[in-house]
Amino acid sequence: MRRSHLGELELLILLAVVRLEDNAYGVPISKTLIELTGREVALGSIYAALERLEHKGFVTSSIGEPTPERGGRAKRYFRITQEGLRAIRTTRTALNKLWSRIPLIEGRST
Amino acid sequence: MTDRRSHPPKGALWLLRHAYFGKNEALEGDLLERFREKQSAIWIWRQVFIAITLGTLSAFRERWPEVCYAIIGVAIPLAFEKRIYPSGFRFWLVWWRLPWPFSQLVMELSASFLMALAAAPFLAVGLVIAQRFRWTYILRTAGINLTLITLVHYSFDYLSPWITRPVPGYPHQRMIIIPGALQLLAFFLMFFVAAWLGSRGRRHLTQKSGQSA
Repeated sequence: MRRSHLGELELLILLAVVRLEDNAYGVPISKTLIELTGREVALGSIYAALERLEHKGFVTSSIGEPTPERGGRAKRYFRITQEGLRAIRTTRTALNKLWSRIPLIEGRST
Repeated sequence: MTDRRSHPPKGALWLLRHAYFGKNEALEGDLLERFREKQSAIWIWRQVFIAITLGTLSAFRERWPEVCYAIIGVAIPLAFEKRIYPSGFRFWLVWWRLPWPFSQLVMELSASFLMALAAAPFLAVGLVIAQRFRWTYILRTAGINLTLITLVHYSFDYLSPWITRPVPGYPHQRMIIIPGALQLLAFFLMFFVAAWLGSRGRRHLTQKSGQSA
């Protein structure tokens, strides 16, 4: 049976893929993660997570045209699937429920 | 003057191409793109090491029957070395009565043959559980493993001056100077590579390429 839940990095990457729409490949995903979380995630970790997401059926990938600025190497574009969107929504609902039951954290200084 | 940005670290890219389990073209392209933007050669090397480590761990996780086979393949000779090895020759063939070179071959390769076959049942069970079992995988793995063990066995004759030293008090004996942990790692990798190559099916490869399309 395939695991259908999302890890933290997987969720962040899925959100970045949704945000980037047709331009979701390694470099922009990595830059989006830095921009939004302040965290530099190694490209190898991003691809490992994307492979897992593809195995779970949450994203699909397609190979683009090779470009000279990349030394003739092609880009690998990722797109979220309906299953992936469902997984994001489920995770958001679960997180919202959890947050709503922890009101004391809001506005606490420590 | 040549632009530094047009010379990415070739060694790192070579390593990525040859030591990374999985599809690496897009990752290589991404590294080149970041390097041409602003990243340093050290950054590239770090990314390559992380990618190789993660790729290897992922391959091990995906190929767990092969990993079990390699662990058992290393453990069996270690556990039974002293008890089975000397009696093994007498047990399964009276090798010294055979004409040369068969006597020599059997004497030198019988241990390798036993080692290559002893862990095969464990690989078979693992592949059955993982629903990937094929008789050809087992036979191919045993064949590749026997070849690798034989190559290592005979390469000792050539590498002996560098990897062995005389045993004090025994002028005709030599001992291997490679640390035990490295020897075990080399054996583990040899068994894993044999099983990995031996159990690569056409159907599995087709599925993989189909997923990426």
